[in-house]
Amino acid sequence: MTANPSTQPSNIRERPSKRFPTIERLAEGWAVYKENLIGKIGLTLLVIFALMAVCSFFPPLIDPMYHPMTGVDPIISHSTGPSWRHWLGTDFIGRDILCQLLAGARIAFMVGISAAFMSIFLGTIIGMIAGYAGKIVDTLLMRLADMIMVMPTLLVVLILSSLFGQLNIWTIVLLIALFRWPGVSRVIRAQTLSLKERSFIEAAKVTGASHFRIIFRHIMPNVLPLSLLYMTFRVTSAIIIEAALAFLGFGDPSTVSWGMMLQWVWKTGHMFQAPYWLLPPGICISLLTLSFYMLGRAMEEVLDPRLRKEVAQE
Amino acid sequence: MALLTVENLSIGYHTRKGFLKSVQGVSFSLAEGESLGLVGESGCGKTTIGMCLMGLLPENAAVTGGRILFEGTDLLQLSKTEIRRVRWKKIAMIFQAAMNALNPVHRVGEQIAEAILAHHADISEETAMKQVESLFQVVGIPPDRINDYPHQYSGGMKQRAIIAMALSCNPPLIIADEPTTALDVIVQDQILNAIKDFQNKLNVSLIFISHDIAVVADVCDSIGIMFAGQLVEYGTVKDVFNAPMHPYTQTLLASYLTLDKDTVHLNSNPGETPDLINATAGCRFSERCAFADADCSLNTPEWIEISPMHKTLCSRFK
Amino acid sequence: MEVRKFVLKRFVEIFIIFFVILTVLFLLFRLAPGDPVTRMVDATLTPEDSQHLIAQLGLDQPMGLQYLYYIKNFFTGNFGNSFHYGETVSSIIWSRLPNTIILFTTSILLSAFVGVFLGKIASWKKGTKTDTWMTLGALVCHTLFLPWLAMLMIWIFGFKIGWFPLNGMISPEIWMDPSSGVWLKILDVLHHMVLPLATLFSIHFGSYLLLMRSSMLDTLKEDYILTARAKGLEEKTIRNKHAAPNAALPVVTSVGISLAFSLSGGALTETVFSWPGIGRELVFAVSNSDYPLAQGSFLLIAIVVLMANLVVDVLYAYLDPRIKY
Repeated sequence: MTANPSTQPSNIRERPSKRFPTIERLAEGWAVYKENLIGKIGLTLLVIFALMAVCSFFPPLIDPMYHPMTGVDPIISHSTGPSWRHWLGTDFIGRDILCQLLAGARIAFMVGISAAFMSIFLGTIIGMIAGYAGKIVDTLLMRLADMIMVMPTLLVVLILSSLFGQLNIWTIVLLIALFRWPGVSRVIRAQTLSLKERSFIEAAKVTGASHFRIIFRHIMPNVLPLSLLYMTFRVTSAIIIEAALAFLGFGDPSTVSWGMMLQWVWKTGHMFQAPYWLLPPGICISLLTLSFYMLGRAMEEVLDPRLRKEVAQE
Repeated sequence: MALLTVENLSIGYHTRKGFLKSVQGVSFSLAEGESLGLVGESGCGKTTIGMCLMGLLPENAAVTGGRILFEGTDLLQLSKTEIRRVRWKKIAMIFQAAMNALNPVHRVGEQIAEAILAHHADISEETAMKQVESLFQVVGIPPDRINDYPHQYSGGMKQRAIIAMALSCNPPLIIADEPTTALDVIVQDQILNAIKDFQNKLNVSLIFISHDIAVVADVCDSIGIMFAGQLVEYGTVKDVFNAPMHPYTQTLLASYLTLDKDTVHLNSNPGETPDLINATAGCRFSERCAFADADCSLNTPEWIEISPMHKTLCSRFK
Repeated sequence: MEVRKFVLKRFVEIFIIFFVILTVLFLLFRLAPGDPVTRMVDATLTPEDSQHLIAQLGLDQPMGLQYLYYIKNFFTGNFGNSFHYGETVSSIIWSRLPNTIILFTTSILLSAFVGVFLGKIASWKKGTKTDTWMTLGALVCHTLFLPWLAMLMIWIFGFKIGWFPLNGMISPEIWMDPSSGVWLKILDVLHHMVLPLATLFSIHFGSYLLLMRSSMLDTLKEDYILTARAKGLEEKTIRNKHAAPNAALPVVTSVGISLAFSLSGGALTETVFSWPGIGRELVFAVSNSDYPLAQGSFLLIAIVVLMANLVVDVLYAYLDPRIKY
C-alpha cells in the first residue's frame, strides 16, 4: 500500500533559526551525512589515504634507500617479498614498494583534486555563461561540449602524447581538465536556466546590475553546491585516467604513481610472481576511487533534500 | 442501508518530527446514487480520506481508529489481495488531469482496457476495446483517438479519459479528487457537466473532493466541510449554504464574491495552519475563530445536530 | 515520419562532428613540434618511394591544398603506410575492426541487460539485505581499476587455475590446422573471449545496476503508478509493465553517454589481454611513434563511437513514444 508523496500532509513547517542560518544548515547537513553509512565509510577511507599521502614525506628522511624513485637498497637489487626491511617488499630494481605506494597517494590526491578543480572551474563558468547568455553563445558552447563529451578522453590524450612526446604530470592534469568539463557545464547550465527566470534575478536587473555582477554575485552562489558535488565525481575520473595513462606507459616518468607501479609489474613480467607488488597499487586506486564516489553519493543526499530517507514535504 | 459508512475514522502519518494526526474522528455516510462533496483547504485531510478509502495510503501512514463499512464489509479489515479486488471494481478514482495519471509509454485505450481485463477474467481483449469505445462515447472523446498516447491529448481530453477509466468497471462508488483543478473555466464547466451526467445516468455514488466550494455546490447533494483533519460541518448543500453554522464555514462562504450582494468586502481567513503533531484536545479552529472563548481551546467540541441532516462540530450550539 | 527526420538530423550532426575532429587532427599534426614529413613518411623508404608518398599525401603543397589532399585521402581510405608493419594502415585497421566490435558490443549488451535486470530487482527490494549487497557490490565492482582487474583475472583464472588462455584471441594451432571445423574455431574465440568479457562486464554492469535502481525508485513515485495501483493491478504487473519501461529510458540515454568511457576501457582491456583490436593497435602505434597507424586507428575509433551514439539515439527515439509521435 504505497502512494505518491503528494498525498503527504502539507502542514509541517520548518522554522530555521534566524540568527545563524548558515551554521544551522551546515549542522543539519552534517546530521544527515552522518546517518548515511556510505558517506561514513567513504570519509574514513579518504582520511586514511590522506594520512598516507602525508606520511609519504617521511621514509626518505629516515633512510635514502626508501626514496620511491631513486632509492637503491645496497643489498637488494631485485624483487623480493615483504620483510622487516621492506614492509611490502621491493620492486624489480630493489626500490621499496611501500614508499612508492605512499608517494602514489600523494600524486593521486594532487592529480585528482587539481584536475577536478580545473574542470569544475571551467565547466561552471562555461555553464553559467551558456545558460545566462542563451541563443547563439549557448548553442555554440553546448555543441562544443557535445563534441568533447563524445570522445574517449584517454584515447585523445594518447594521440596527443604521440604528437607532443612525453607529457609531464601538469600537462596531463590540464588535458584531463580540458576534456572533462562538458559534463559539469551541462548541469550548471540547466541550473542557471532555471535560476534565470527567478524573480531575484529580475530584481537585480531592474536595479541596474551588470551581467557580470549578476552572474557572479547571484547565480554562482546558487550553483556552487552543485559544482562541488560534481567535483567528487570528477576526481574519480581524473585519478582513473591518470592511472590508465601511466599504466600504458604514457605517464610522467619522473613521478611515481600507482598506475606507474602497475606498469612496472606488467612490463617486467612480475605479474604472476609478485602479488605483494601487484595487489597494493590496484587496491589503492580502486579504494580511493570508491571512497570519493561514496563521498559524492552521500553529499547528494545532503544537498538534495528530496533524496533523503524520509519525505516530509512542505 | 447506506452504501458507505465511515465511522470515527482517524489517520496519521509518521514523520521525522513526530506523529501527525491528519484525520481525526471523521464520520459520514453515503447512500446509493448520492453525491457528497468534501471541501477544505490544502492539508485539511480530505485527500487522505480519499486515499484511505482506496487503500492507497503511503507506507508511513497509519489508521489509528474507526471503521469504513462499504456494502457491509469493513474495508480496513481486508487483506491486500482482497483490497486489490475491491479497487476499481467497487471503488474507482478520478485523478487530476494535471497529474501524470496516464502512463506515457502506453496507449490510452490500452490503459483503460487493462482495468477492464484485470477485473473480468472472461472478457477478451477485443471485447474490452469495444467497451472502451463506448466509454469514450459516454465521456465525449472521438473514438479515433483510442490508440493515441497520453501526451497527444489536451488537458480536457486527458480528464475525460481518466473519467472513462474510472467508469470502466461500473463501480458503485467513485471518488473524484480535484478533477477540475488546473483546467480552464470553459473546460471545467464541460467536465462538471460530464460528471453530473454520468452520475445521474448510472446512479453512481460520488465523493467529490475539492477546495473549491462553488464547484462542489454545483455537483453534490451533500457537503462536508473539513478543517485540520476534522469534519466541522456536514449536511445537504441547501442547508449548509443557507444556514452555515460553524464559524469556519461562515468565513469560507464569506470569502467568495457573489453577484447577488452589494458588499464588495473580501474576507480572508487570518491565521496559520494549525500544528497537527501537537494538536490540543480543544477545538482546532479556536485560534482563528471570531467567536472562541477560553473553553473552546481546552474542551473537545461535540457533534451538535441542528437538524437530522445537518450537523456541526462546535460547542456554541449546545 | 518523425523518427526518420530525427535520425537524419542526428546523422548530419555526427557527420559534422567527425569533420571537426578530422580537421582538428590535421591542424594538430601541423602544429606539433617536429617535421611533419618524417612523421608521415618512414625514414627507411627509398628516395623514390618517399617522394611518391609525399606527393600522394600532398606534404609538399601549401597548407590549404594539403587539407584537401588530407580529406580526399581519408575518403579514399588512404592513410599511408604503417612504419611498424610495413603494410597500408587501412588494411591493418580494417582487419582489427571486427575483433573490437565483437568484444565491445557483447560486453555492452551483456552489462546493460544484466545490470538493468538486477537494478530492477534491487529497487524492488530496497532497504533489504539483498539490495544493500547488490548496491555495494555494484559500487565496488564499478570502481575497480580495469587494467588491474584484467591482470588479476589472467593471474587467477589463466595462470593459477589454468581454465582460460592467458592472452590473444585465437589459438594458432587450431586455426592453422586445416581439419578444424568452423564450430571449433568459434568456440576457440569464445574461449579466449571469456576473461576480457568478464573484466569489461564487471566494471560496467555496476553503473547500469545503480542507474536502473535509482530510475525505478524515481519512477515508482510517479502518479501513473498510483493510477496503476488504484486500478487494482498486481504489484508484479505494475513493476514490470508500468514502471520498468519508463525507468529504462534514462538508462538507454546513459549507454550513449558512457560509450566513450566504455571504449577507453575496451582499449585498456585489449592491451592487457593482447586482444587484436583497434584499441590495442592505437596504443602500440603511439608507443612506437607509428604516426600513420595511430592517426588511422584513432579516426576509426572516432567513427565507431559516433556510430554507436547514433544507434543509441535511434533506439531511444524508437522506444519513447513522446518522440515518435
